[in-house]
Amino acid sequence: MKRWRTKREHQIYSSKLFQALCRSRRTSSSTSAKELHQTADRVLSITAKGTTRWSRAILAAPLTAGTNMKKHKKAKVTVHTRLRKPVVNREKKKLPVVERKLKALRRLVPGCRKLSCNNLLEETSDYIAALEMQVRAMTAITEFLARGEAQAPTDRLGSIGNM
Amino acid sequence: MSSRRSRQSTAGVSSISDDQIIELVSKLRQLLPEIRDRRSDKVSASKVLQETCNYIRSLHREVDDLSERLSQLLATIDADSAEAAIIRSLIM
Repeated sequence: MKRWRTKREHQIYSSKLFQALCRSRRTSSSTSAKELHQTADRVLSITAKGTTRWSRAILAAPLTAGTNMKKHKKAKVTVHTRLRKPVVNREKKKLPVVERKLKALRRLVPGCRKLSCNNLLEETSDYIAALEMQVRAMTAITEFLARGEAQAPTDRLGSIGNM
Repeated sequence: MSSRRSRQSTAGVSSISDDQIIELVSKLRQLLPEIRDRRSDKVSASKVLQETCNYIRSLHREVDDLSERLSQLLATIDADSAEAAIIRSLIM
């Protein structure tokens, strides 16, 4: 988890991401933000070197064309309440608050829907650290490119690597 | 099995022990920027979990925004000439 804070990982990720983005630009004329986000996530997972569940889950997920990827939702069949067997315990309808939040957390971290509490903790902390690095790296690239529009690229120092 | 508490395996979501939750929560607290600075121990478990989820969601949103900006920027610049310069500067 600490590795996400190192300059080295930051540089590795930044250069890999930028290369991936340039590659995808050559193959298709425009990159949507969604595709870019996907690419950024995939490169992040590759940088993780398969040591964490969330990174493996991201790499295993199919690529989406550009529309919002929604998980398969089972078709809701409305059943008349009278036909339902009266076994439902009304008090237990909602899980306790902590369980619910835990469930929400599991949904947010990729590949962790059925993870135990301890492993979920490890995955979450690694995921958060990786996401923070992702934000730092992408911010640096964005600022670099934005500045590039104003001035020529030759007289700039390597400021991205220092961020 | 009945005499010792099994910490490794959890049969299902509903059988998480309180100890595990407390441990999870105390460690998560250190990850979150706001709660880390607060010294009180009174932060409830659900609040920490909620803050964690919120934080992850906000990070996702930030990456979304950055992706948006990056995709626009990439469309306008000439990547080939900038690429060499950028890669050099990123690696150094």
